Amino acid sequence: MRSLREALLAIAIVAVATIASVALRDALAPTNLAMIYLGGVVVVAMRCSRWVSVTSSFLSVAAFDFFCVPPYLTFAVSDYQYVFTFAGMLVVALVISTQTARLKEHASHAAVREARTEALYRLSSKLAGETRVFEAARSAATLAEDVFGARVVIFLPEDGNLSFRRRTSDLLPVPPSEESIAQWVFDHGHKAGLRTDVHSDATALYIPLRGARETFGVLAVLPDLENRIFAPEQQQLLEVFAGQTAVAIERTLSQRSAEETRVHMQTEQMRSSLLSAMSHDLRTPLASITGAASTLRTQDDRLPLETKQELLESISDEAERLGRLVGNLLDMTKFESGGVELRRDLYPLEEIVGTVLQRMEPQLEGRAVSTDLAENLPMVFVDDVLLGQVLWNLLENATKYTPPVSPLDLAAFEQDGAVIIEVRDRGPGIPPGEEELIFEKFYRGKSEKARGAGLGLPICRAIVQAHRGTIQALPRDGGGTTFRISLPVESK
Amino acid sequence: MKPLILLIEDDAQIRRFLRAALDAEGYRLQESITAEEGLAQAASRQPDLILLDLGLPDRDGLEVIQKIREWGKIPILVLSARGQEKDKIAALDLGADDYVAKPFAVGELLARIRAALRRSITRVDGAGSLVKFGPVEVDLEKRVVRVDSKEVHLTPNEYKLLQVLIQHAGKVLTQRQLLNEVWGPQHTEQAQYLRVYIAQLRRKLERNPARPKYLQTEPGVGYRLVPEE
Repeated sequence: MRSLREALLAIAIVAVATIASVALRDALAPTNLAMIYLGGVVVVAMRCSRWVSVTSSFLSVAAFDFFCVPPYLTFAVSDYQYVFTFAGMLVVALVISTQTARLKEHASHAAVREARTEALYRLSSKLAGETRVFEAARSAATLAEDVFGARVVIFLPEDGNLSFRRRTSDLLPVPPSEESIAQWVFDHGHKAGLRTDVHSDATALYIPLRGARETFGVLAVLPDLENRIFAPEQQQLLEVFAGQTAVAIERTLSQRSAEETRVHMQTEQMRSSLLSAMSHDLRTPLASITGAASTLRTQDDRLPLETKQELLESISDEAERLGRLVGNLLDMTKFESGGVELRRDLYPLEEIVGTVLQRMEPQLEGRAVSTDLAENLPMVFVDDVLLGQVLWNLLENATKYTPPVSPLDLAAFEQDGAVIIEVRDRGPGIPPGEEELIFEKFYRGKSEKARGAGLGLPICRAIVQAHRGTIQALPRDGGGTTFRISLPVESK
Repeated sequence: MKPLILLIEDDAQIRRFLRAALDAEGYRLQESITAEEGLAQAASRQPDLILLDLGLPDRDGLEVIQKIREWGKIPILVLSARGQEKDKIAALDLGADDYVAKPFAVGELLARIRAALRRSITRVDGAGSLVKFGPVEVDLEKRVVRVDSKEVHLTPNEYKLLQVLIQHAGKVLTQRQLLNEVWGPQHTEQAQYLRVYIAQLRRKLERNPARPKYLQTEPGVGYRLVPEE
């Protein structure tokens, strides 16, 4: 297709040179008319392939002879001097053709090299930030489709075997029966499929993603319309591309195992501090419950009614405390192990606040809580149960650590693309230097009023951070503390 | 005769204290330890209410609800573990009437039992056309809503939502159930509509919409209209 177009262009240019020469035939000497043809050859050489421009060199000499050298319209020559002109013209034309073609090849090689460098640069910068194997593979496949202009799918292994189920595109563009070819490529680390020695009747070309130590998957390329991907330089680029992708996946995996080790160490650390906290916090209420219950059982007839009531009350209070503690421990462990799945949706903040306050009623014991929610507050994209738990924990802390007569305020407003929720009290305030520590697990304020396990605020922080928000404790003007939650405004 | 309650629960300690509490309230009690036994007794004894633990040894509690709903409308009160919102929603969507999360205080359980029994009785009588809760008065026949004796205008969807909540007063309705009844089965995934409408209803009916007394949210599950006792 392309060579036919070039040939027609070459003929047209020689024709134009001929028309110009014929028109100027009477004004210029034939040797000068040869220059017009040479000009044409230069144009052809710049636009067309080497063979077309060489052919046009011969064509130009022939046309020059036929139209411009007397006698006209015949290849016969009256003056044999023209044989030198023809030879000179042909040599110059051929030199022009070959040199221009060589220059062009250089330029196009440079362009290919540049495109290739750019493609690999884009690949490495795109994959640098990926921490998950599948996401890395998906980015690589998308980029490959862009660079090679062909359909590309990457298949990844599942339980050690390559699987067409783990693939980067939604649709499967190759027949399922070719899974065995991909498996072969995965096992042997050699390419196979279209235009290779193995399974050349396949619908796609399968290239292994080979890293330094192992193969991580298989990249399948479907031929494009013009079969450009089978050009040698594209083939080479494809293989480098596959190699780079494998290296990126390898790095992702090693990063992940480093991360896993770190998490594992943290978990171990947490487990030991958990054990020490548990032994105290769980045993204390248990001791009261066991003590009170056994007293009631063994000394029932000797106890005054009032004492019995007291013991019963302490059983129920301590059981409740134990329940909260176990609940908090479970929540924290769930968060630590990544077992919490956010069920986010758009909620009016008013609704979440209302539910919490309504459920808090018994704990508040009639204490005033003012609510000041800005009008036109955007809906928040949150897990309603978890955000409710954050507010609950903050309000519960406030009721525990501030005098019963002091007021509590709950406010919300929008600021710089975030919804800010504040729980403010008029309590004794948080001692300077402890504002961050109180969010650490098992940290308990220096004041010995604290009776919790030091998990409420860490849970709050874990929940808020899971929503990509922040939570901090700030001293409040006029005394007291403001707990400020900032949630980015997001949509579904 | 006193109402008969069927308790389907495998934990002996929980059965023990429930037996004491329900007995003290004067209810008659039938106990089952497995789902199979519970299903058989539900059919043969026709209890007035079923207390169902979801974590049974032989079968999923949700299956029990499904089976019972195939033939009857006996109120079912589910005893579920804390934080298992998914199970609660599934139980309610299958037709359970209410749930109590473990650990629970007996007082709360008894209140829920009373409410469920009352609902099953009034369902037979048919509710009157005039419903009152707090300052709100709804005339179901004339479709008129008044707050503090002043007429309040509700949009058709707001009214429909209120009507559904009144029909099931005291019962938790999941978001799916409400969306289905008000907007139809093709809209059951669009929960944010529902939230906007609930917020509007609260603004029109509640004294303090930020601390609703009647239109209560069950976090992660749905909504409940709590008429004043």
